[in-house]
Amino acid sequence: MSDAVLRLSHLRKSFGSLVATDDVSLDLRRGEVHALIGPNGAGKSTLIKQITGELRQDAGTIAFEGERIDSLDTAARARRGLARSFQVSSVIPAFTVLQNVMLAVLGAGGGVYRFLRPALRAPGLTEPARFHAEQVGLADRLTTRAAALSHGERRRLELAMALALRPRALLLDEPMAGLGLEGARHLTTLLSDLRHQAPILLVEHDMDAVFALADRISVLVYGRIIATGTVAEIRANAEVRRSYLGEGA
Amino acid sequence: MGKGVKGMARETLLTLAILSALLGTVIVAQITGEGFVITLATKVAIFALAGVGLNLALGYGGLVSFGHAAFFGIGGYVTGILASHAGAGTAVTTLPFALMGSNEMLGIWPMAMLAAGAAALLIGALSLRTSGVYFIMVTLAFAQMLFYFAISWPRYGGEDGLSFYVRNSFPGLNTLVPVQYFAICMALLVLALILSAALVRSRFGLALQAARQNEQRAAAVGIRPYALRLVAFVISGMITGLAGSLYADLNRFVSPAMMSWHMSGEIMVFVILGGVGRLAGPVAGAAVFILLEHLLGGVSEYWKALLGLLLLAIVLFAPGGLIGLVLRRDRHV
Repeated sequence: MSDAVLRLSHLRKSFGSLVATDDVSLDLRRGEVHALIGPNGAGKSTLIKQITGELRQDAGTIAFEGERIDSLDTAARARRGLARSFQVSSVIPAFTVLQNVMLAVLGAGGGVYRFLRPALRAPGLTEPARFHAEQVGLADRLTTRAAALSHGERRRLELAMALALRPRALLLDEPMAGLGLEGARHLTTLLSDLRHQAPILLVEHDMDAVFALADRISVLVYGRIIATGTVAEIRANAEVRRSYLGEGA
Repeated sequence: MGKGVKGMARETLLTLAILSALLGTVIVAQITGEGFVITLATKVAIFALAGVGLNLALGYGGLVSFGHAAFFGIGGYVTGILASHAGAGTAVTTLPFALMGSNEMLGIWPMAMLAAGAAALLIGALSLRTSGVYFIMVTLAFAQMLFYFAISWPRYGGEDGLSFYVRNSFPGLNTLVPVQYFAICMALLVLALILSAALVRSRFGLALQAARQNEQRAAAVGIRPYALRLVAFVISGMITGLAGSLYADLNRFVSPAMMSWHMSGEIMVFVILGGVGRLAGPVAGAAVFILLEHLLGGVSEYWKALLGLLLLAIVLFAPGGLIGLVLRRDRHV
């Protein structure tokens, strides 16, 4: 019980007659990578949005570090350390890498209402921002504008921004998408180390990455979790093979 | 910061160049005794100041306010009302406390800015709940409400406006001497530009600009756009209100026209013509506007049709405005 950093209990969300989240219960435990897999349209992104507060569930509860966060907005959840990356990279395009990460440091620490001192000369912002940019391997891209980054670099920038929030849990929505073999391998190594800093709820289609990283896997199909278990259990699960992995897996 | 600093430095240089050109014009006009040119330059400085205010909301905050004439007009009316009471030796109000008229700019400016700021707080708090075209319409609606209020307020001139006969005073200067009044307006413009530049680079500016570019991302790192934008809107309204006060003093006259949607549109034109989100954009925009009005206004009363064409060309071919055209690079941050 105390091990669950994030706990979803009986979440339900429907859009008209479409039930996108159907009685989903799931927990994210300290030190683990919990992968959420499932076919397109299974409701993975809808679920992530309910956790971040962009969508409000119709029923059920979300508890983060033992406290219910249902009534908090997105910004408040982020400040508590619920950090995310987006399915489609979402950064501030005209900002440099450093400024993007500084923004996350700023958001986490508050102190937005300081009007005169240049942000770039505030070591309280720049030092942590540098540190997290280096952490994801963007040390030599600090002054590059985010719009000029490659796809993979932008993915890593998102991760740096999530880390700058001093996360207590990471929600990563398809971080491997479009990365290519080398990039995916690189990110897999990075995430593998991060799980000890903050547990990771990983939505991912790249099965190699999922099997390499996940401590546990939950399979979401038509809004319902049809199985949760270790990698071996999920691989062996007949229903999962039929509905998602395919007979070849 | 590598490229960043170089870009900033170039923009700062350009800002200085534009301000020097304005100052140089006045110096030459002073030597050659062209008082009219000094008055035009003063108008440029005042309009530029109004634009610097709007640019904070529009350029950096992404808030397309079509109601900034409200703040311009409020600044003007506060000035006119205080000055007319000072002239007559009567109190503006005795409840809840006695407020006497004033003809001291140093007393009038804070009042004008306070009134404009309070109005911006109210208008902003309501209109920021909307976005996009609705925000434009709501800000316009509020400004029009104030416009009609001013028209139907006979105590302060109603439709005819309100004149006061002596320009308000500033310690140590004779404000009726054109070049001295220009100096006051220019100094305030420079101060506003310095403040603007500092705001843009501050933590507040970083968060504000992030919220403009990607609201969802800002929220995801714990930043709430609403309050940020409201603060930006209030500061913006206060600066434009100060410009309104100066404009009232320039003409020694205020009228509802200061609050009309034409005025909102003109302030917006200064910003767009010069360059949205560029420090010196409003200065360049206001200068070109006044120059065109002066050069073409004499030729044809339809000069605004030409202004329209120029604006169209800028929006279509040089979205960075005149400043962007000179710097030839995308705006930084």
